[in-house]
Amino acid sequence: MVTPSHAGVFLWLMVTAVPPLAADDVIRQGEYLFRAAGCANCHSDEKNKGAPLAGGRALETSFGTFYSPNITPDPETGIGRWSEADFVRAMREGLDDEGNHLYPAFPYTSYTQLTDADLHAIRIYLFNQKPVRQSNKQHELPWYLRSRALLRIWKILFFNPGPYQPQADHSAAWNRGAYLATAVAHCGECHTPRNFLGGFKQSQCFAGNPDGVDGAKVPNITPDKKTGIGKWSQGDLVEYLETGLMPDGDYAGDAMAEVIDNSTSHLTHDDRRAIAIYIKSLPAVEQAARKQKKEKNKKEEYL
Amino acid sequence: MKRVKIRRLLSMGSVLMMLVPLALHAAEPEDIIKYRQNMMKAIGGHTGAAGAIIQGKVDYKNQLADHARALQTLTSDIPALFPKDSDFGDTKAKDGVWSNRAEFEKTAKDAKTRVAAFAKAVQGGNQQAIVASYKEMGEGCKSCHKDFRKKED
Repeated sequence: MVTPSHAGVFLWLMVTAVPPLAADDVIRQGEYLFRAAGCANCHSDEKNKGAPLAGGRALETSFGTFYSPNITPDPETGIGRWSEADFVRAMREGLDDEGNHLYPAFPYTSYTQLTDADLHAIRIYLFNQKPVRQSNKQHELPWYLRSRALLRIWKILFFNPGPYQPQADHSAAWNRGAYLATAVAHCGECHTPRNFLGGFKQSQCFAGNPDGVDGAKVPNITPDKKTGIGKWSQGDLVEYLETGLMPDGDYAGDAMAEVIDNSTSHLTHDDRRAIAIYIKSLPAVEQAARKQKKEKNKKEEYL
Repeated sequence: MKRVKIRRLLSMGSVLMMLVPLALHAAEPEDIIKYRQNMMKAIGGHTGAAGAIIQGKVDYKNQLADHARALQTLTSDIPALFPKDSDFGDTKAKDGVWSNRAEFEKTAKDAKTRVAAFAKAVQGGNQQAIVASYKEMGEGCKSCHKDFRKKED
């Protein structure tokens, strides 16, 4: 029997639990996530003054050079014809609108964990951006990696699709941090080392990658005191994600400065704190990303 | 009398002899790189120390002006720390420092201006202005590191 007081409780639950967002709020939520996920970092060729989200940025990896595609809503060259289902499938399963496997240079290995609501918001935001007509550039890959069919096997080996599952034995802030760091900001895509097939070494989660994108040596961000950031306090981490200031007075540079400028500095303080809580809770892995001495001796080249 | 003269000549000569190698030998690139890394560490040291004071983590308010002055001195000519031919070896400097010199100098100058603004704010003593200008200064450091410093070689 539904009494008026029951009805009141139901109504109250409906209003407070999952309030349906107004259209503007969805776009705003989409923009927040879009920034946090750093989509523009790869999908805009800022260095060569490319149009925002029109793609074309080169990503040099040990598997070849990938060029990010156009993700503006242009129907011919962008994703303007993609349905919501197409978009969700690309983010969650790494397949394009025609069902072709996508290379994991596009971090669907992380985005797969995004919730339905967040994927929806990101798509709405993207489709509210200016369409740009710019054709995609072919990736430059060795012949044996050109077949996308191979990615099917890769996915069986290294890809666990599905949205993030909150862990009941951790706090809400920790879960929020885990979700942001793994699903949204996809920190591990750069900070977790990969095996020779490009799959993550899960046991060394966030322990740094000596052979990162664009030849960078990506640092260990587990709380190991010697080789990681174990000496950083939670406050240090929050400060770093906001301004780029490190405890020793140095400032972030290169790719991480981009991440801070375009993503983490735009998060709410609570979200930065949540990420810090999560990162501080990671198992410490002792691993110094070995310094690879790449001889860049130009002088001798010319001699 | 004569003896004194000879002595003076000798000592002058020895001073000159010491100066000659300094003048004739161009500095080794590795030494320049080490020098500028030490300079950058010094800049970072003062920045970190100033930050701890500003954020109220430590109570050395009287020292803040010293840090600001030091930062101003240390950043007075950053491009000079990156002379030609110091672009190879154990450095994290990106090629752009030399190949895109105009942009690099502009960015470095911008950082210098921000340091000066910070030093001025510290002199003014207004806490809000100090916090804001410190943040602005950090933006300057970060923007140069973003475009011109590699994560690792």
